[in-house]
Amino acid sequence: MKKIILLVVALALSFSGCEKDDICDANTPTTPRLVIGFYDFLNPSVLKNVSNLKVIGEGMTTGILFNGAETTSGTTISIPLKTVGTTTTYSFTLNSGNTNPALVDQDIIRFDYSTQELFVSRACGYKTIFTFDPTNPYTHTDATAANQKWIKFISVEKNNIENENETHIKIFF
Amino acid sequence: MKHTLRSFFSFFLFLCFTWVQAQETTPKGESVKQTTVVKRVAVTPKTDQKIPDAPLPLVAIDPTLKKSDSIPLKTDRYGVRVGVDLYKVTRGLYDRNYKGIEFVGDYRLTKKYFLAAELGNENKTTDDDRVNFTTKGSYLKVGFDYNAYENWLDMENIISIGMRYGFSTFNQQLNSYRIYNANPYFAETPIIPSGKKFDGLSASWLEVVAGIKAKVFDNVFVGFSLRLNRLVTNKEPDNFSNLYIPGFNRTYDGSFGVGFNYTVTYFVPIYKKKVKPLAVPKQNDKK
Repeated sequence: MKKIILLVVALALSFSGCEKDDICDANTPTTPRLVIGFYDFLNPSVLKNVSNLKVIGEGMTTGILFNGAETTSGTTISIPLKTVGTTTTYSFTLNSGNTNPALVDQDIIRFDYSTQELFVSRACGYKTIFTFDPTNPYTHTDATAANQKWIKFISVEKNNIENENETHIKIFF
Repeated sequence: MKHTLRSFFSFFLFLCFTWVQAQETTPKGESVKQTTVVKRVAVTPKTDQKIPDAPLPLVAIDPTLKKSDSIPLKTDRYGVRVGVDLYKVTRGLYDRNYKGIEFVGDYRLTKKYFLAAELGNENKTTDDDRVNFTTKGSYLKVGFDYNAYENWLDMENIISIGMRYGFSTFNQQLNSYRIYNANPYFAETPIIPSGKKFDGLSASWLEVVAGIKAKVFDNVFVGFSLRLNRLVTNKEPDNFSNLYIPGFNRTYDGSFGVGFNYTVTYFVPIYKKKVKPLAVPKQNDKK
């Protein structure tokens, strides 16, 4: 009889041990970032490496980190959109930190979208997915009017930003 | 969570004491019965100790002693047991996010089987890291308990295993939530107030129940049970989930859950049944 009691108590204690599984798994798809691919303007089907691109969000002092560095020379970048509000503005600086100021070129792109919040799980809470404004998904301006824009053309590939597995925006330069 | 754990342990501790008490009372009742039925039995050992030289009267009594030994007419009492879950009631006192009550009852069908049911109502606000929501609803569980414990004489303790089918109707209100952003560049993780209500939700599940009930004094039983639940149906809201179901408790990623209750019940006897003499040698063997 005592054995039964012990068994039941042990069972109860083992149950009390399984708590706190409330950590959002990194593999769970949550709020997606905007995936931008860079292409050659003269040869639009070919990806082109940017040189020391620095991306800074409006109102922020530091750039987005790409593999730990603030500049990237890759062909694609993923940047987060603001989940509060329906607009996010980024400045894209080419040849950032270059000693020759003539090469440093800053373009500004404002993205306009609508948001939708979807329930994921207890641990992750909700995620936001984005839909680009159908008439005016982006506004491309230059930081200094005199300067010429380094981005020649912007193409919206996907109107809905639901995951990070696809390129949503193509930038030709 | 700390609260829950603490109460868990304290209840088990308390339970240990009540069990000891229960064990104590039964031999007491046994000895009382013996003295009333055959007073001499109780007297003889005393004289035996005092005067070992006079064994003559003992011989005369011997047959009656044997007779009385075989007599104990064991009767099983049948009736309804009703009570409440103390855990739910007391939790409402120290946890301001919780209000709940559960009535429990069982009816003895046969020597071993009990028809059992629980009826409850809960109002619980769950404050998780990412979501804060309030669940309100009622539930009913119906099933049976099988008493696996062989009682001595007039003991009425129960160590049971049983099953229940539970059904709950409830509503949820999402009080606030947070957006999960793995890349918090803009450092915006506000708690967004919602207040959205999800009505007309329901769930049903199966429970496997392991329980103990001990008679602490006349007709009053204290017991606890552990439950392993598995969801059968679950009507979930749009864009939210049934993270808590009254009666089922917290839901996990799978369809399993666990439950627990700590009950005080009162037994209302309705009729008695004599136990067949066949049971007597069995008991002796076990002893």
